[in-house]
Amino acid sequence: MSIGGRRAQLEGLAFVAPFLLLYAVILIYPLVAGVVISFHRADLFGARTFVGLENYGRLIGDPVFHQALINTFKLTILIVPPLTAITLVLALALNKRSRSAAFFRGLFFSSSVLSVTIVTLIWRFILTPDAGLVAEVLEAVGREPIPFLSDPDLTIPALAVTTVWWSLGLPMMLFLAGLQQIPEEIYEAAALDRAGRWTTFWRVTLPSLRRTMLLVIMLQTAAQLQLFGQAQLLTAGGPSGASRPVVLLIYEMSFARWELGYATAAAEVLFMLVLTVTLIQYMTASRRWEG
Amino acid sequence: MIRGALLAFAALSAAACAPEDRRTEIDVQRFFGECGAVYGRSTDISKAEGECGIVTTLFNGFRARNRDLKVDVNVVAWPGYAQLAAQIAAGDPPDLVTMHQGVMSDYASRGLLEPMEAILAQAGIRPEKFTAAARRGVTKNGRIYGLPWDTVGGLFHINTKLFEQAGLMRGGKPVLPSSAEELLAHARKFKQATGKPYLIQSQVNDPATHVRNFYTYMLAQDAVMFPDQDHIRLRTPEAKRVVELLRQLNEERLSSRNQDNPAAIASFINGEGGVFPTGTWMIGAFEQDAQTPGRPLYQGYAVLPYPRLWGRQAGFVDGHAWVMPKRERTPDQRAAIARLLRFMAQHNFDWTRTGHLPAFEAVVNSAAFKALPHRQDIAPLAQTGSPLPGYVRRQGPIEGIVGEELGAAVSGQKPVDRALADAERRVNELLSYMP
Repeated sequence: MSIGGRRAQLEGLAFVAPFLLLYAVILIYPLVAGVVISFHRADLFGARTFVGLENYGRLIGDPVFHQALINTFKLTILIVPPLTAITLVLALALNKRSRSAAFFRGLFFSSSVLSVTIVTLIWRFILTPDAGLVAEVLEAVGREPIPFLSDPDLTIPALAVTTVWWSLGLPMMLFLAGLQQIPEEIYEAAALDRAGRWTTFWRVTLPSLRRTMLLVIMLQTAAQLQLFGQAQLLTAGGPSGASRPVVLLIYEMSFARWELGYATAAAEVLFMLVLTVTLIQYMTASRRWEG
Repeated sequence: MIRGALLAFAALSAAACAPEDRRTEIDVQRFFGECGAVYGRSTDISKAEGECGIVTTLFNGFRARNRDLKVDVNVVAWPGYAQLAAQIAAGDPPDLVTMHQGVMSDYASRGLLEPMEAILAQAGIRPEKFTAAARRGVTKNGRIYGLPWDTVGGLFHINTKLFEQAGLMRGGKPVLPSSAEELLAHARKFKQATGKPYLIQSQVNDPATHVRNFYTYMLAQDAVMFPDQDHIRLRTPEAKRVVELLRQLNEERLSSRNQDNPAAIASFINGEGGVFPTGTWMIGAFEQDAQTPGRPLYQGYAVLPYPRLWGRQAGFVDGHAWVMPKRERTPDQRAAIARLLRFMAQHNFDWTRTGHLPAFEAVVNSAAFKALPHRQDIAPLAQTGSPLPGYVRRQGPIEGIVGEELGAAVSGQKPVDRALADAERRVNELLSYMP
């Protein structure tokens, strides 16, 4: 390599060094430290006893962890497909240059700026069987209130609805951005070919949005596999663990029970899970497009 | 624009030139809620009501009387132990913290709390003046790790108007059952007469509800729940008996269901049930309603210890304490903490207006305490109440696990035997894997 080339390389490295340093300190180091701690019986205050794979062995036989994993998958499945579909429909409906469209874009995005505390407070007022909005409506028509937050079959759907409502903003904006990048000429060509609205949607719009859709699905899957605040504040993971996702379990293990080694082992498993699921989604979609 | 920038610069310069605050500073962290909007400036302690109002006013009063000190109070969401653990792990804990006496065992045994005999002496507080329950609560392995602040426990809060309607009043006093069978009979009679559930219970997001009932009646039967520090024993006839009663009350809808704590409180003050088994901390709020004309509880409220259903009269109790996490402190900071502890001890009576039992014998025996409403009725709890044995660690997480499994059994999600076995297995696993 010439001296000039090496110098350019060093300059480039100097530009990215601050970021790389920060990345190593706040991401790589905790990741490695977490793996190391997961091989120990450890508490929050520095006690460490090396136990090899004991924590991972415990996870394999722990029914509470299994239940949390199942809950996490149920939540992800109940949230990601409806959220993708709803935000796509909203984006299609609001992809216009009118004042009303701008107003509704702002309105649907507004829930995303709320903190999880406010979101759960709002949904508690809606869902609680004592004087909640839904209960009041049901009682007005002579029906029994539905215990959304304490029936083991209803808590996960309740959390899913809350999360979908809260998360509409970002995917809708991504779809709107995707829609605005589709060249107008393709629609004109479709119109010349007398393609109907459905045909245009299926043959032009949807294929043009496939990369945006993959991004939305991957981002939302990774986010919902790590769902925490809504479950902690709305149901506390109950009743009897019926709505406890993995991150809430990790939080309880580490901060309430001080089982840091066990909690980090669960966190490593979740990390691998998120990585695997998103990679599978990416590879499946890429293969289909290549095909 | 230039004028605006110059003004901003002048303001910043003035702020930079402001005299440095050289007062001794201490950081206090507490739960009991945030009510600055109502009590933010109040210093008249005698007029404050409820846990939050009284503790907020106490700190305002201390600041007003000790202007040479800077006391920063951080209010945490109940119970705040996750935050405290993170602060200790980060090496930056507060100077003084509220802590349940049952939780102190964990922090003390791990060497995270400072023994407080010396600072209590500096504050002029003598531990022999504590009540027996309070002294037991703050003593761990022979050392005193906190200033006890009260003794708290579960009580039967009763709507006497509805009891009257159900024929469960005698000589102006509520009639409580003396056996499990009689409890069911009373509850059925109550429901038939009033159309309302006998019990109001906070069963959602509140594992403490079932645990309080369960521990109380396990203690009443002298059942040994913790044979040693590493094991819990729950697969016993005594445990099954208690859980089956709670389950039957739920099954027959003799208890309210699907309510969290705020909903259960609202339900009780609106006269929607007979008995709300909850803690001493609600007496002040319910009594206020009972003194307000037009309210459903007006002149219709009584409170008594849990009735004896099996064995002996018993009650599961805990308490709050002020503790000092281990950290570097200057002599001036220690002196400031001692002054604050002394102030808190001097106002222990004010704190008992919340409904909690006093931590000092002198307050228990004072005419002022005895003159407070219902205190004569609940005084037996001071004698009959017991905490878990001091060697039981992780009492908070154990309450969470046991409460979760009991909740599943009571609501019918799990058979009673399986729930008890699951609770036993999970707690034993937790205790066996402690580092």
